[in-house]
Amino acid sequence: MQAFLSQVLLGLINGAFYAMLSLGLAVIFGLLNIINFAHGAQYMMGALAAWLLATYFGVNYWAALIVVPVIVGGLGMLLEKTVIRRTYRLEHLFGLLLTLGIASIIEGLFVNYYGAVGRPYPVPSMLQGAVNLGFMVLPLYRAWVIVASLAVCLITWAVIERTKLGSYLRAATENPPLVLAFGINVPRMIMLTYGLGVGLAALAGVMAAPIYQVNPLMGSNLIIVVFAVVVIGGMGSIMGSVVTGFGVGLIEGITKALWPEASGVVVFVLMAIVLLIKPAGLFGKPFSGATLALDPEARPPLAGEPRQYLVPILAMAALLIVAPAFIYPVFLMKVLCFALFAVSFNLLIGFVGLGSFGHAMFLGLAGYVTGHVARNWGWPPEFAILGGTAAAAALGLVTGVLAVRRQKIYFAMVTLAFAEMVYFFCVQAPFTGGEDGMQQIPQGKLFELIDLAQTMPLYYVVLCIFLLGFLIAFRTINSPFGQVLKAIRENEPRAISLGYNPDRYKLLIFVISAALAGLAGSMKAIVFQIASLQDVYHSTSGDVILMALVGGLGTIFGPLVGAFAIVGMQQYLAPLGQWVVVVQGVIFVVCVLTFRQGIIGLLARWIGRPL
Amino acid sequence: MNDSKTMNVATARLAAPMLQVRNLHAAYGESKVLHGMAFEVHKGEVVTLLGRNGVGKTTTLKALIGMGVHRTGSVIFEGRELITLPSNDIAKAGIAYCPEERGIFSSLDVEENLLLPPVIGRGGMTLDQLYELFPNLYERRHSQGTKLSGGEQQMLAMARILRTGATLLLLDEVTEGLAPVIVKKIGAVVRQLKAAGLTILLVEQNVRFAESVADRHYMVEHGVVVDTYANGERGDRHETLGSAKLSS
Repeated sequence: MQAFLSQVLLGLINGAFYAMLSLGLAVIFGLLNIINFAHGAQYMMGALAAWLLATYFGVNYWAALIVVPVIVGGLGMLLEKTVIRRTYRLEHLFGLLLTLGIASIIEGLFVNYYGAVGRPYPVPSMLQGAVNLGFMVLPLYRAWVIVASLAVCLITWAVIERTKLGSYLRAATENPPLVLAFGINVPRMIMLTYGLGVGLAALAGVMAAPIYQVNPLMGSNLIIVVFAVVVIGGMGSIMGSVVTGFGVGLIEGITKALWPEASGVVVFVLMAIVLLIKPAGLFGKPFSGATLALDPEARPPLAGEPRQYLVPILAMAALLIVAPAFIYPVFLMKVLCFALFAVSFNLLIGFVGLGSFGHAMFLGLAGYVTGHVARNWGWPPEFAILGGTAAAAALGLVTGVLAVRRQKIYFAMVTLAFAEMVYFFCVQAPFTGGEDGMQQIPQGKLFELIDLAQTMPLYYVVLCIFLLGFLIAFRTINSPFGQVLKAIRENEPRAISLGYNPDRYKLLIFVISAALAGLAGSMKAIVFQIASLQDVYHSTSGDVILMALVGGLGTIFGPLVGAFAIVGMQQYLAPLGQWVVVVQGVIFVVCVLTFRQGIIGLLARWIGRPL
Repeated sequence: MNDSKTMNVATARLAAPMLQVRNLHAAYGESKVLHGMAFEVHKGEVVTLLGRNGVGKTTTLKALIGMGVHRTGSVIFEGRELITLPSNDIAKAGIAYCPEERGIFSSLDVEENLLLPPVIGRGGMTLDQLYELFPNLYERRHSQGTKLSGGEQQMLAMARILRTGATLLLLDEVTEGLAPVIVKKIGAVVRQLKAAGLTILLVEQNVRFAESVADRHYMVEHGVVVDTYANGERGDRHETLGSAKLSS
């Protein structure tokens, strides 16, 4: 009983942090219309700042509770004023990418300086010890965290719902231009609101410091769970975030007591159930606030006539055929695997406007399945690759049915959350080899004819598979089906009024994209003979977004060029360790702010035709 | 009757106008709507912009308040150039805007809606005075803003900007879609505001209503002012008003 209750208590404490973080996300989203991907990093900054202040300046816990949110919130305001502000006129996607890049920079920098090891933060002396409640022993600090976070949530709610400042905030969430026209400085309010949300995250970080070990990565996994919480609750109401946060924490705690293995995924299962029953979330409104005007220049360019691409495609194929004479073939194969992966991602984001932030789940799962059937069941490589691809397509079907029920940023969060679920599954499932990964996957003979253990035949097989995937994507874009998808992207209500069911079209393209990503993952498993957790991890999902962005969203050749650039950079900067993460974050930020068309987009503009 | 009105207008013209608009161009993205609007409003006047749908009347008001349009030209208000200012600074100069779609906030109750626009100068009405002028709003002060009837929402949208102490009110089609009895009430309110010394620029399609409250009229077509006349001197301009409604 004691064990059960202490798990429930731990769940409530997690719930307290979910509530504070999702509350901050909801407040920021309301006014800025972006999902703050840097929220986890800012929570971590709160915890680490408390630790730094205690270690180097002797600042105690109680002072840190005040000082840290002010400092971190202030930094947040600076960030909003200098950087984030520039994305408001762009499509929502760019705000996501920008804050994702900022999160990478912050986390990468802190890992470089402080390493990934956890550091203990002492429980304040006043709250040490525990009280015996008879049925359980209650550590004082944990009781404090629950009470304090409830109080913080209630105060935030009261400020927003019951004060003059709150009425400005609510009005500006609904109709920013009109509030501005009444003489209220809306840009300053937006800055303060971002500061408030970030300050809440930092406060949660300080409160978390004595419970969890303080380390630079403590926010990166937590934030994905918080995204799932946000999807479950919907972002319509402040109270909704709080109730959902605590509720999810509680359910997680109970699950941990009853069935420990499932505790990692229960949040995501809950999310799936809510998506099935009430897609807008438990407290969500079917319509989210005001939409901002789109900057026409920020839209991904639309593809041209298929015939225009004939020469460039032949040139690309020719270049890739001769490339091994100049470039290390194993590197080239890695590029081709990721290029196909990026093609699959770009197919969704560039042509349908669906940003899948969990695309690694298809790559990684397909790799495991291919490896398993090739190594343990002795399937020949052609069937192993087909098997992996089919598994990814099936996963795409299951997750897609749920994910297409939500749009835009919710779609991003849902896919990210499902990928995290798949990641947890792969960590625990026996056949994946867990942390060690699946090794010594046999390459075998393709069609019992081509020996894939030899580099050059392997390269040309990989090239053929890449070209096949590339052409499937190309054909899909230029088919009548692709035209409908473009119509849906441009104006979904209009497409509906013409009699199309967007969800079915989105689901089909999602499955096609998942299958192509799976094909890339299967190919990668055969090439490198391993399948590892890295391929399912959310950083790989981030890599593929970066590749598509750098190459040029919505371009035909962008994914290949982007994969070349990013894989090359990772290869050559590998000795720098965690700095690669920082560099990638900087690339994200720079691309979003100044280089949204990507390399191919720029090239296409120069030569005046789509590429 | 007509003579005295004409004289009022004449004397008002001697002083520098409160609002002087010259060569005003405005565009939504690529599509240009205003092509050099020019007009002026004197202190204490009620002036209307008349014209058909889509000629740029609402866009003119939006360009004046700086909301959602790209604008060039000159807007001089009480001697100050406003064309480069963001809309919050324009509001602080003393201009208040009542949008065509009313812009009542659904997440605010009636009283919060009333109290939302900050006071920018002296001379605004108090909350009590507003409730006296619009008793319906008092009764429904704790209702959600968008739960009011169309007429009540229009009252709320107008009442909201009377508290701020703004000296020039921009009213966009305040009679649109409302019952005659409410239109009458709004007309009375506009005359009351004029008597209190406020200056009003009104956008209207309802000519009869416009002529019941305004001193002067500008006729707008294709983004420019094509004609102007003092109230009661419409004469044979009947034809040029085109499809503008002559009935309330």
